[in-house]
Amino acid sequence: MSLFPGKTEVAPAPRSETELAHTGLWRVVVLNDPVNLMSYVVLVFRKVFGFDEGTARRHMLEVHEQGRSVVWSGLREKAEAYVYTLQQWHLTAILEPDEAR
Amino acid sequence: MKRVEVKLGLPVVAPLLDIIKRTVDSLGEELAVPQPLRDLDEELGSAWKNELLTEQTEDCRRFLALFDSEFFSTGMIAFDDDNAESVLRACAAIRLRLRDRELHEVSDEALEGAGVDAAKLDDAAQKTYLCYVFLATLQELIIQHLDAAILDG
Repeated sequence: MSLFPGKTEVAPAPRSETELAHTGLWRVVVLNDPVNLMSYVVLVFRKVFGFDEGTARRHMLEVHEQGRSVVWSGLREKAEAYVYTLQQWHLTAILEPDEAR
Repeated sequence: MKRVEVKLGLPVVAPLLDIIKRTVDSLGEELAVPQPLRDLDEELGSAWKNELLTEQTEDCRRFLALFDSEFFSTGMIAFDDDNAESVLRACAAIRLRLRDRELHEVSDEALEGAGVDAAKLDDAAQKTYLCYVFLATLQELIIQHLDAAILDG
């Protein structure tokens, strides 16, 4: 939403490197740990992302067997919110730029 | 509201509470899992960590509250919609800390596959491992009986 609806030409404000780095798409990646129960990880995935049982189990097995699983991809702000929520549940979650898109 | 009551063996569980309380104390200023997140500025990173710490502390407080005077007279603890999530998360935090601080001699493979030979651990590690398994059992009970409440909450 513009603060100046009548104005048609507005020079863009300079953007910092951090701002530029945060544009584009980002991946939420969950990394394996040897402690959290499989059933717990499945429950957390269902709770946080609304996955059905099968999808949650598939991601959990991917984490378990391959060490990581990309559980979500999208805009940075929402990706950060997902990482924060996963960290509340003590899963090891990181953000990566989604360079494939 | 669904409520699950569990009767625990006091002579077995009471000694584990010393380990649990000690571990919760050690979590006072640190996250169970260090959570580095690249690209966050210092202020946001600090706020992020502090918020997680506050929530971790509150979860642990609610978990320890299960072991009140009633527990010590009857051996009973109860889970319901209101405390299930906090207890689940607290158990996860404490188990992660136990693994990091006191069970580091046990391999990841053994822990993940439940292939730990407790008889080969020294006395202190055996007690810690018993605590680690006890917390996992509580988590399994909650997931088995209160998963719908957690998913709907």
